[in-house]
Amino acid sequence: MKVVVIYSWSRDPEAPSVRSDGSVDFHNAKMVPGEDDPAALDVAKEIADGLAAELVGLTVGDSDASWALARGVSHATRVDGIPDYVDDAATAAVLAAAVRRLGDVGLVVIGDPDRRAGVPVTLAGLLGWPGLVGVHAASVRHGRVHAARRTGDREETVVLSLPAVIGVVATGTDTRTPGMKEILVARKRPCDTVVGADLGVPENEPVVLRGTRLPEASGARLLGGSSGQVAASLVSALRAEGVL
Amino acid sequence: MSAQTWIVMTEAAQAQALLAAASPWDGRTTAVVVGGAALARHVADLGVSEVLWWEQDPGLPADAYAPAVATLAEQRRPRLLLSTTAPAARALVGAAAARLGASVVAGATLLRDEGERVVIERPALAGRVIETLACPVPVAVVLGAMSAPTPADSGTATPARIVQMPADGQLLELELQASEPTATAGVRTAPRVVSVGRGLRSAADVALIETLAAALDAEIACSMPVADDLGWIDKDRYVGRSGQHIAPRLYLAIGISGAPQHMEGVRQARVVVAINTDPDAPIFRSADYGIVGDLYDVVPALVEALDGRTFSHL
Repeated sequence: MKVVVIYSWSRDPEAPSVRSDGSVDFHNAKMVPGEDDPAALDVAKEIADGLAAELVGLTVGDSDASWALARGVSHATRVDGIPDYVDDAATAAVLAAAVRRLGDVGLVVIGDPDRRAGVPVTLAGLLGWPGLVGVHAASVRHGRVHAARRTGDREETVVLSLPAVIGVVATGTDTRTPGMKEILVARKRPCDTVVGADLGVPENEPVVLRGTRLPEASGARLLGGSSGQVAASLVSALRAEGVL
Repeated sequence: MSAQTWIVMTEAAQAQALLAAASPWDGRTTAVVVGGAALARHVADLGVSEVLWWEQDPGLPADAYAPAVATLAEQRRPRLLLSTTAPAARALVGAAAARLGASVVAGATLLRDEGERVVIERPALAGRVIETLACPVPVAVVLGAMSAPTPADSGTATPARIVQMPADGQLLELELQASEPTATAGVRTAPRVVSVGRGLRSAADVALIETLAAALDAEIACSMPVADDLGWIDKDRYVGRSGQHIAPRLYLAIGISGAPQHMEGVRQARVVVAINTDPDAPIFRSADYGIVGDLYDVVPALVEALDGRTFSHL
């Protein structure tokens, strides 16, 4: 059985230049891994170890497939020729087809960032598998996958039957960088490329990005003066707001 | 005509924001609810046309009802499905969208009706720009940080009809083994919260923030790095997407840059105040009041300004 970890790369949101008309210049914007991907990989490793399953990586588009290979994934597949969809369902359809192509998949683990909040749940729906998102930790006990997540003011533990999809949110900032040894090992690990068009995903009418604009001017009222003056101004303003 | 807009709910939070998002499609909004009877009754009072309710088995997470919701979606074919980022609600919407072949877009802060298109605005590049997307119907939309409107007075409105739905065995194999309240109920319900980020220089300086919190009669919270990387404040007090989601009347963010994942946790705060040395910190884009300054100067001054004040019970 395979445990698949899906990872993505996208442009660093702080890197592109934003012009005065709100258009964006992506020239030279560096690519960075998804914010939840390191946490997803940790969860996938934990479960793959617990189930004695093979851990494989899956990524789409311009991602650096070696990112996961240098972090313990035995084999990676990159789907090429897929645009950076703004429609999470289109992304999920490609991933679902790629997961089916891998075969013998018992669990898919994927990052669950806000901006792509529809991908894991739609992926689960397309596969017809149980899906659990917002997960921050998981483990295997007595051969079953236990996932922990926070919903509202409660901490839940949910036991999943496989196959399933788990969407993981990071609770920390990943600062680990693979050493030279891991990077050299990663170069020897298999990585194959699949042409997106070969997956046979039907094309639906696309969601169209009409453009970008600058956000409305900041709503923040900046308080100026000495520390004492701004403190007094703030207390006065908060009194007027009725929140003190 | 049957309602073509669905709001999908597994908890009461952000119900008004969901209704506001559905408002351009005037009229008939169906609430699809998985949860307890109290939640169904609460939603019925909000001004929706009808409530389709699956009573949640205490041994199952709401996500388990995804196939049943998807089957109903296939039968009724809503054009627009809305949910918050609540994990279980998203799971239901994702299953329905997959069954309908719908587009799915997340992070919407504004929706408009253009007939055969739903036009959505959402922030991108960490809030530096706003994207406009034109989506064919059917489309499922996960809301982002929409401002929550003041709850309407529904005292005289007739509650919507609640239709209890059968699961008919269409349940996913998920087992809710434990569901415990988090330890920090105080942070979640406090009317005032003082939160600190990496602008703080040392663990010992948390005492300074505690002094301000005491002066404000507030609870303490923090950004993710302070709890996770530094361990200066308990992890249960971390506010953000994967941490606490709170709705205080006052949220005072000290030395917090305002990354989107943090702001996700305070989107329901009424008044946000930011203190930061960096005038370009993203938090000033979403705060109501801002002070560009060193917290080590401003916080003691605030304590002094608050000294001896009395506070209303909010």
